[in-house]
Amino acid sequence: MTLIAETGYEFWSPIIWLIALAVLSVIIYFFRKRGQEKYKKGEDQAQIFLCGEEVPAAEERQVRGGNAYWGFFETLREYYDGIVRLHTGIVNDYIVWFVAVTAISAIILLIVKLIG
Amino acid sequence: MATLIEQSSILIIAIPLLIAFLTPLIGMASKKARNTVVIVGLAFVAFLVFALARDVILNGIHIYTLGATSSSLTIPEGTMIPVRIILEVDGVSVFMGIVVAIVALVAVVYSLSAMKEETGQNRFYTLLLLLIAGTFGMVFTGDLFNLFVFLEIASISGAALIAFKIRFADSQEGGFKYIVVSAIASLMVLFAISLLYAQYNLLNMGALAAAMQYTMLDRIALVILIAAFAMKLGGVPMHMWLSDTYSVAPASITVLLITASQASMYALMRICFILYGVTLDLAVVGWIIIAIGILSMFVGVTMAVRQTDITRLIAYNCVCEAGFMLIGLGVGLAVLGDRTALSTYGTTAISGAFFHMINHALFEGLLFLVAGAIFYRIGTRDINRMGGLGHTMKLTAVFFLLGALASSGLPPFNGFASKILIYESVYQFNPILTIIGILVSIITLAVFVKAFFSAFTGALLPKYADIKEVPKTMIAAMTIFAVIIIIFGLFPGLIVDWIVRPATDALVDQASYINAIMGAIP
Repeated sequence: MTLIAETGYEFWSPIIWLIALAVLSVIIYFFRKRGQEKYKKGEDQAQIFLCGEEVPAAEERQVRGGNAYWGFFETLREYYDGIVRLHTGIVNDYIVWFVAVTAISAIILLIVKLIG
Repeated sequence: MATLIEQSSILIIAIPLLIAFLTPLIGMASKKARNTVVIVGLAFVAFLVFALARDVILNGIHIYTLGATSSSLTIPEGTMIPVRIILEVDGVSVFMGIVVAIVALVAVVYSLSAMKEETGQNRFYTLLLLLIAGTFGMVFTGDLFNLFVFLEIASISGAALIAFKIRFADSQEGGFKYIVVSAIASLMVLFAISLLYAQYNLLNMGALAAAMQYTMLDRIALVILIAAFAMKLGGVPMHMWLSDTYSVAPASITVLLITASQASMYALMRICFILYGVTLDLAVVGWIIIAIGILSMFVGVTMAVRQTDITRLIAYNCVCEAGFMLIGLGVGLAVLGDRTALSTYGTTAISGAFFHMINHALFEGLLFLVAGAIFYRIGTRDINRMGGLGHTMKLTAVFFLLGALASSGLPPFNGFASKILIYESVYQFNPILTIIGILVSIITLAVFVKAFFSAFTGALLPKYADIKEVPKTMIAAMTIFAVIIIIFGLFPGLIVDWIVRPATDALVDQASYINAIMGAIP
């Protein structure tokens, strides 16, 4: 009952996946247990170390979401310049897009009728 | 019980309508009584939906003719056509009904605390119930004109609810945009209906499907209907209103707007598969829907990754997820006339789309509720101003992570189960569609990594040190979604067998839909 076998190629069973994940977690835990055990919470070793520099306040050292994926946006700058320009925020433009889609779809169906 | 089930389809629409107009009266006496009536009423409606679903799955299409001596008497004596208002509830309708019932109940539970400080709560619940009634009406009606009427009810109440927090300028703007876009879409739907009515003198979808000749006027009506409903469901390039409105509406309303958009997708399916069926140019119309789906996926996700407003980010992700559903449905439609392809992968593609529809309502709903919870506590939607909220809002952080992973299609969550159905079926139709889908899912994960990282991780910002978890009813609402997401993720076969497969079978069985209306001639 938990299987989806109708995808055409294979089946998907979350239960089997979870069992595999559990086995993998046990293996990872085993290796982790063999690691450093001398860590003590709340002592100097748990403090942030910035090459001896003063550690900035929490607000200042938080990496903002707006800074994420900078390289991705730089690479796709032309795409983003174009696509953002289309999102004008003006409701008239939204309706123009509706008219355009309607017209293009109608032309496609008309051509199909004429050809067919 | 039999009488209750016989009357259930009309009760499911009538009860929210009745409570909507009772709410202001009860609210004047007691807020607690008003809230209780709304919750109990919607719980009873949900019970009716599940009872009706069981009946439809076991016994086939449920018909309810208003004003007839018998609810199954679709064609009055002395006439050859159905002239009364008829509700025709098949597997697709009950599937949609279940989605709406679950989401409506959760939305109201969430609203109890989230809207507690707002003025005009009586009006809020009246509008909310009208939106629910309108959405139920859209998915249960067997009549095109009533589809338009319920679309209008849902649109007008939806616009008012988006602008409910009228002190915010962006709420007013969102409400205005929603009503303009909805009004244009509704008017175009009405125009298309009038084209069909002018030719066939019919408004009943079953009767119209039987008479459909696919003339030039029918083609024009089809194009208008596809474009109008595609705009209402947020298909690219007609999606721009969606991020402007979903992001500014109260969170509980946004989750209902998702179901309202899905009702438009339902209408699109009903029109393509049942009203026109095999008469239309299946491959061409299928590819038009697939093209809108591809654009929605790609533009939706690339715009989402750029956002710094958490609700706009989720809203663009909604556009992207709608693309997955459109691709599944488009592939199913393209092969509708090819029995072999339909049985080999077409029905699986449609099942994937249906399954993704309910999953989408759940995980996007959860994400919007989490975004609403953040706004409720810190008063901003800007992720650049958030940070470390996971220290103080632990449960909310877990809910966001759950919704994000499900939306990104990671196993073992429900989003993966529905996406794998879509991937593997559309691969047999065109492998490029699957490749695009997987790529889009990867970017979706990047979108939510950014949002989760910005909002919940990092050092606790001193200005949010005193922030507490949101009230219990808001947590309860998010928990309901979270639990269903986990259940659907762990037991996908159960959900597919129980509600998804019957919906798929009903959608590709035009003959049964027509016979349920036209076969009952006295």
